[in-house]
Amino acid sequence: MAATLYTAWAVGGLTGVCRVNGHQQGPLHCHLKVLVAGLQTYEIPPDYSDVVLPAKPKLKFVNKVPNLKKPKREPKKLRDIQGPTRGADSFTQGQYGIVALGGGYLHWGHIEMMRLTINRKMDARTMFARWCISGPYKPITRKGLGQRMGGGKGAIDHYVTPVRYGRLIVEVGGKVELEEVKHILTEVAKKLPFPAQVVSRESLAALKKKHADMEQNNQNPWTFKQIVQGNMLGIRRVVSPFDVHHCGRFSGKFHFPGRV
Amino acid sequence: MMAATLCGKLLPKQGWLPVTQSVRHGSKAVTRHRKPIHILKQKLLAVTKYVPPTPVVPKGAYPSERQEVKEESGFVLLLKRELKKLFQDYKMVAVAQNCNSNAEDMRILKHRLHRHGIAVKFFPNQVMCSFLSDSVYSNMAPLFIGPTVLFVSKEPKVKEMLTSLRSSPQMTLLGACIDNTLLSAQGVVSYSKLPSVSVVQGELVSGLAMMTAHTASMLQRHPAHLSALLQQYVKQQSSEEAPKAEEAT
Repeated sequence: MAATLYTAWAVGGLTGVCRVNGHQQGPLHCHLKVLVAGLQTYEIPPDYSDVVLPAKPKLKFVNKVPNLKKPKREPKKLRDIQGPTRGADSFTQGQYGIVALGGGYLHWGHIEMMRLTINRKMDARTMFARWCISGPYKPITRKGLGQRMGGGKGAIDHYVTPVRYGRLIVEVGGKVELEEVKHILTEVAKKLPFPAQVVSRESLAALKKKHADMEQNNQNPWTFKQIVQGNMLGIRRVVSPFDVHHCGRFSGKFHFPGRV
Repeated sequence: MMAATLCGKLLPKQGWLPVTQSVRHGSKAVTRHRKPIHILKQKLLAVTKYVPPTPVVPKGAYPSERQEVKEESGFVLLLKRELKKLFQDYKMVAVAQNCNSNAEDMRILKHRLHRHGIAVKFFPNQVMCSFLSDSVYSNMAPLFIGPTVLFVSKEPKVKEMLTSLRSSPQMTLLGACIDNTLLSAQGVVSYSKLPSVSVVQGELVSGLAMMTAHTASMLQRHPAHLSALLQQYVKQQSSEEAPKAEEAT
């Protein structure tokens, strides 16, 4: 309680400093110290008694190559970068995380960078971290240097994990507040191949709410959805079916936050 | 692209191939760069931009109607209870402002006041004002601005307090609440000049008993003196009656 802290301070400040005869000595009686105008009240720190840390708090090692018997070459299928995530866009165990604000591929180098930075900087006694993405599984092929076009598809060079807009990459939780974790996660988020942001549970909900509010209180009488769904001015000629579905908020792997 | 167009269309006659075939390599849907947008789509995006709602009153023009109610911490509640007890127990509560007084000056002042049974208390202004606004003594709230000190005592010993305060130049008396009556600084000075209760009572008693004491003293004197006084009184009475009778007639 704050009162006990103050009594300890008041009593501690008295002893050995001044023995004034006959004056009351006890809590709340300041003898030599004149209280400054106003009162400094300290916020009670949050209670983490119900937080359970897992046995292995650090990020696990992720394989560079999935162990398949016969790795097959896959077509490019860039649509796994396009648009918003289908799932994995909300917190499960942790409190703070990195959310992707664009699409991109994460390869083993990115994953290693994240793992090493977070494992080095975090305090294993008070916090834990968890992957929200799987290891690289999509094979990317490359032809040898100086090869001419044609001659079939190249050999598998490396593997990547596709990430869409709105997906959580890494989750951190434990007996910590956002400020203690923010500097670690921002360092990691800057190095990712897509724009990423550090979020907490509340801030992620606030982001989603902000978009919903924008849709609600838009003063523009004309909306993208209305014009395109009704095919006004024959605009479907220049608007792709993907844009029709996503109302012009995405273009390729990019997301436009100002669009409603 | 080329193959698709050719296969899609039906060839006009068997074994016919066009002279020129255009090959168009556009970029894919997902690119690393921002793809150039068709002018019609640009116009569509410009028309359907987000327009935020304009507030009728700009932000910050008027103060918010809702007052933020802060939960008071345990320490503030403790201080308020102390204040309540203070106002109940102590008859005299004087407020003074102290500008840069040392610890030594403070100690000397406290010692002087303690001899007369006056205690020196410190309370934060915020807590004081919030407590006073709820209590009966709300008119005292304007006194608590700046570094304030409270002088409290069970008996209203104003004279001694004023003498002690006069010795310390840093303290300036702002006001006091003595016996549930608010007094300003001048009021306190005039209160100090008032005689004490016992003196006033004595004066009252003496005033009431003055006539009887005077007669008692007169009777104690020599009877000749008394008889001379009575004769003089009778003469006065007769002299008064004579002019009165003349006036009547």
